[in-house]
Amino acid sequence: MERSLVAFDQNFSGAVGDFPVLLRRKGLLAPAAENPVPQAGTPQKIWQPTEATTILAFKFSGGVLVAGDRRATAGNTVVYDRADKVLEIDRHSIMAIAGVPATAWEMARVLEHSFQYFRRTQLQEMSVDGKVRALSKLLRDNFGFVMQGVGVVVPIFATYDSHPKPEARLYFYDAMGAQFEATDYAATGSGSPAVRGILFYENNWGAKPLQELGEDEAVSIALRALDTAAQSDTATGGVDRGGKIYPLIKIVSRDGITTLPESKIAAVFKETVA
Amino acid sequence: MIEEPYRWVEAIANRREYIEAQLAPGSPIAALGYRDGILFLTVSQTRQKIFEVYDRIAMGAIGHPGDIERLRMAAIELASTEGFTRAAADVSLRRLVHYSLSPVMKNAFEQVYGAPYLARMLFAEVGERPEEDLFLRVEYDGEIATNGATYAQARQDFAALSGTQQSREQMEALLATEHAQDANLETVVNSALDAWSIGHMTLQTDDAKEPPERAAVRKHREEQLTNAGIEAALLERDASRAIRYRSLSDKELRPLIRD
Repeated sequence: MERSLVAFDQNFSGAVGDFPVLLRRKGLLAPAAENPVPQAGTPQKIWQPTEATTILAFKFSGGVLVAGDRRATAGNTVVYDRADKVLEIDRHSIMAIAGVPATAWEMARVLEHSFQYFRRTQLQEMSVDGKVRALSKLLRDNFGFVMQGVGVVVPIFATYDSHPKPEARLYFYDAMGAQFEATDYAATGSGSPAVRGILFYENNWGAKPLQELGEDEAVSIALRALDTAAQSDTATGGVDRGGKIYPLIKIVSRDGITTLPESKIAAVFKETVA
Repeated sequence: MIEEPYRWVEAIANRREYIEAQLAPGSPIAALGYRDGILFLTVSQTRQKIFEVYDRIAMGAIGHPGDIERLRMAAIELASTEGFTRAAADVSLRRLVHYSLSPVMKNAFEQVYGAPYLARMLFAEVGERPEEDLFLRVEYDGEIATNGATYAQARQDFAALSGTQQSREQMEALLATEHAQDANLETVVNSALDAWSIGHMTLQTDDAKEPPERAAVRKHREEQLTNAGIEAALLERDASRAIRYRSLSDKELRPLIRD
């Protein structure tokens, strides 16, 4: 008899509210990768995964701005020039990804469902600390793949916390799952050294600190930073002037997430960057 | 002795009687499809009875809290894993109930040495248009009733759940005359409260053949609302958001009540 994917299960895990555990029990999510034992000799890299770079986020007067260029590469090849690296997880949370999109999109999907699953089963919203930790756990479970040279993901997580006091929160991670809360800005991916340089400069010696910028000024700095990164890093797309492809920019605020329309980004670009 | 077929039938009948008695005091729940979505409404003194299941699916239940909780968790698990592996649009209430919940409840009911589920549930799934709204009532023995058109019955855009069959039928009779699917929120909140009141009144009178007088229903409603809260939730038809479930507070609903 053929068994359906959806079969009634008497061992309810709902009391725990942990969605990845449920998926693993049902065989719908790969088990946490084993950390490989180091072997003698030089490992041969025979296959290069598609990777996505560069992402940045900083706090400004209207919340947190999260931006990502659109390029996905595999080695020297540009695979895609309209990749979406800034992903909405729930009404107030954004995960931006640098690294292997196959793994990152799966993580985003697990995360999105985890938050909803928790709210539905436990009848309350997951806390910001819980959400930040959930992503950390997914990264830790993936670390075995990172060690094997495939599946590295280095995300940024931006959200809006209403408890105890309403404020935007910004985190970045390393590939092993350590979470770092950023006070002002964060950038990851291959183009991030240039981006971090610009954001540090702007925050300390620019016209005003990042946290005091208006929306247009913030967008302008994000575009300049990504374009600068693209100058020296082939894996970063920056702004494609010929193809009119702009970075993806989203803003997290008290009211939720806004995706800036391309026309608005194009206007700021034309006025202050081009 | 249960091995004998006659004994088995008798055991099942006893069990049915026992469960019906347990469910009988359950406060009614009404679900009404309207222009902008589906409204779930009940009046309750104690625990929560209306829940979110998935993006477009909600449920209301009466019965034992432990059993309701187990079935609720199961429904959420099934819908969430389906939505994760495929897409939210592929999560189907019809399949969830017919294929997964009903057989398990039937099985538990008929295993006379095991415990049955002491629960009666009402599920609804909001569609793109009111004609696509789906309501399913699932009984403790796995029996399913739907709002869909059959040879015997025209399609209904409402459903009711109550402790007794008589109470439920009174609610359905009222909604069949009072409710129209192009109504607005204010109108459906009042229709739902009327349906709840008539259902609740019927639970308290043992053998009333005639429906209670309209004035008596209003009076009952007023009395009940002074010392109990309205619990309600919406499944919104607005397609711009993935998650359609929104609970409504008592405070939001009180100003909508008309005399």
